[in-house]
Amino acid sequence: MLGFVFASPWIIGFLVFGLYPMVMSFYFSMCRYDVLRIPQFIGLGNYDTLLLRDPYFWTAVGNTLYYTFVRTPLCIAGSLFLAILINRATTGARIYRTVFFLPSIITGVVVSVLWLWLLNPQYGLINSTLQLIGIEGPLWLQSPEWSKPSLVLMSLWSIGGGRMIVFLAALQSVPPHLYEVVELDGGGAWQKFRHVTLPMISPVLFLWVVLEVIFSLQVFTEAYVMTKGGPLNSTLFYNLYLYYKAFDDFDMGYASALAWLLLLFSVLVTFVQFRLGKRWVYYEADPRG
Amino acid sequence: MVFTNDDVGVKRLLLWIAAVSSIAAAFLLLMPDGMTRETPADGRVHLRYWTIIGMKEIIPYFATSFSTVQDRIVVDTTPIPWQEHEKKILTSIVSGNPPDVVNQITPVPKWAARRALVPLDDYIRRDRLDTTMFFPSLWEEMRYRNKIYGIPVYSGSYALFYNRALFRQAGLDPDRPPQSWEEIFALNRRLVRRNERGQILTMGFIPNYGNVQTFMLMAWQRGAQFLAPDGMHVQVADSTVVGALQWIERFYSEYRQQDVAAFLGGMGFADQHGFIAGKVAMMILDSSFPDQIRLYKPSLDYGVAMVPTFPGLPSASVSGSWWLGIPRGAKHPDEAWEFIKHAVSKESQLLEIERTEESLFPANRYAAEDPRFMNTPAREIFVRMMDFSHSPSVVPLAHDVFWREITGAQERVIHGLQTPAVALQQAQKQIQAILDEAQDYDNFVQMHADNP
Repeated sequence: MLGFVFASPWIIGFLVFGLYPMVMSFYFSMCRYDVLRIPQFIGLGNYDTLLLRDPYFWTAVGNTLYYTFVRTPLCIAGSLFLAILINRATTGARIYRTVFFLPSIITGVVVSVLWLWLLNPQYGLINSTLQLIGIEGPLWLQSPEWSKPSLVLMSLWSIGGGRMIVFLAALQSVPPHLYEVVELDGGGAWQKFRHVTLPMISPVLFLWVVLEVIFSLQVFTEAYVMTKGGPLNSTLFYNLYLYYKAFDDFDMGYASALAWLLLLFSVLVTFVQFRLGKRWVYYEADPRG
Repeated sequence: MVFTNDDVGVKRLLLWIAAVSSIAAAFLLLMPDGMTRETPADGRVHLRYWTIIGMKEIIPYFATSFSTVQDRIVVDTTPIPWQEHEKKILTSIVSGNPPDVVNQITPVPKWAARRALVPLDDYIRRDRLDTTMFFPSLWEEMRYRNKIYGIPVYSGSYALFYNRALFRQAGLDPDRPPQSWEEIFALNRRLVRRNERGQILTMGFIPNYGNVQTFMLMAWQRGAQFLAPDGMHVQVADSTVVGALQWIERFYSEYRQQDVAAFLGGMGFADQHGFIAGKVAMMILDSSFPDQIRLYKPSLDYGVAMVPTFPGLPSASVSGSWWLGIPRGAKHPDEAWEFIKHAVSKESQLLEIERTEESLFPANRYAAEDPRFMNTPAREIFVRMMDFSHSPSVVPLAHDVFWREITGAQERVIHGLQTPAVALQQAQKQIQAILDEAQDYDNFVQMHADNP
């Protein structure tokens, strides 16, 4: 009983600042509402407009899916690769770990501004380097074809962050005798990786795939700071569009509808991942005990 | 203590939650009282004034000088950062605890349409306020559905800046700035410089670089009416606008989009600004720019001239007013009005400009035309340009959508994806759809809201 009293700051906080806004946003998603005026109930009107008549919605969905499905495999593979390298390092593992980790402690806006200069077509470090080996670099963020790849490239900046550390811990907890078994059977490095490492760290991989997909679907800062959604809406991501609708146009009903669709989609994708996960994730102990 | 799932346990639990919530609620209710509602021990009215600030925290001079002209009202100024301002005012109005006066730059109709502001017509009539003291274009920005909701304090005025040194280098007369768009385009061919790899190093004039959309100015010069007189129909795909956008198309038929984009990618703020860095020879910039030049490159040899136009047509500029308004639900609207009148008087404006480091342009034309302000040739041009100024609030009920769509249409033309006519038709369709929805909502609120 007393426990609930001690938990009541959280309970009240959740009810007032968590549950209530969620319920209201669901209601507003079926309204026209601009905060200052009374809401006008229009049923599924917002969803109808979004799905059938709003060209930007589908542009934003396409951009976000592109970003999610290109970025997630690359950043998981990148982190895993770094973790394996450090795991094999005989000397200086700590130094490498620190050096690889450093970029990830810089916050989003700072990194974005930094990359604006790295990616600058005429003066940027990347294009100047490419020019040394005779390649005329692209316009990066100023080009509708290269803007999304640029942002994916930029997000790989932090592959040495927390994700790599967790992978490293997972790698170090793989029992060495399993590798010895592969050696006895005459297997090489690839067999060890494929048949021992991967299955043993698959729960950690699975966790990060699920998380990264959710993070990627919510991509916002980079586009907001660097491109504002351009050029030609090529970086108009879902959350950026939602932000414009909510805080430029104050079309809160429409923005709420956008938010609910994103939540629904995230839940769906995660559900599918959990179903697929059963096929490839190996839990040494049965998670159900 | 173990929670038992019987009736008594549930009742006691609910009781506890009720008790704790009511204590919390009591705190919440008491807090604003103690924190914000002034109890004027000095017997004077304390006005809450929210002003926008950019980089530096500056209290406007007119807020401090108000106490020198009367002693009944005290102004408590709260500087609010630029990015937060709109949201803060919005939530303060919704919560029923707004400031008495706000300073804003977003269009008045955007607020007035949402009933965020108190109409000022009664005050204006009562005090016979001389509204002709404001530049007409600024005054028109204050209007929504035939009522006035704000009073302009400051503005920006735009004019053509040209780099005299680059003119001389190209063998041009530095005392003869271009007067027509045709001339601008001809000058471009003289002023453009490229390196051996074809990259642009300097350029004459780029119609989509800067804060002003050149093609919108061209459209206004050609007499474009973006909204039909009934206020219901968007006319963005009108031939006057299409004709203007064709000039942008023409520019990009002479210069590759990729080259210009790469060139513009190297531009930034302050000393990296294209005009200050001496990379762009001609730009349409606002009246605060001479101060920026003084700050970052005092040696820059430049001139200021009227915005070019088409032969026989008037020039055009765009103004955006900083205005003062009284939010709905303000506790002291009468005193707020007295303060606003003080802020926009000629003397206040001139003193403010003299005493602040900010580059301000007065909304009061008597202040602007006073020799204390009009003391450089550039300022004379800025004051003259105000007569050709247009309000950026073109489609009030779909303001942000209008500008996003206009920019989008121009971008599609620049990238060669659409012709001006097709791009603008697409924009028109989008803006009209949003405007229709906004009007429907507006009608609904008119019918159902208890406060008119």
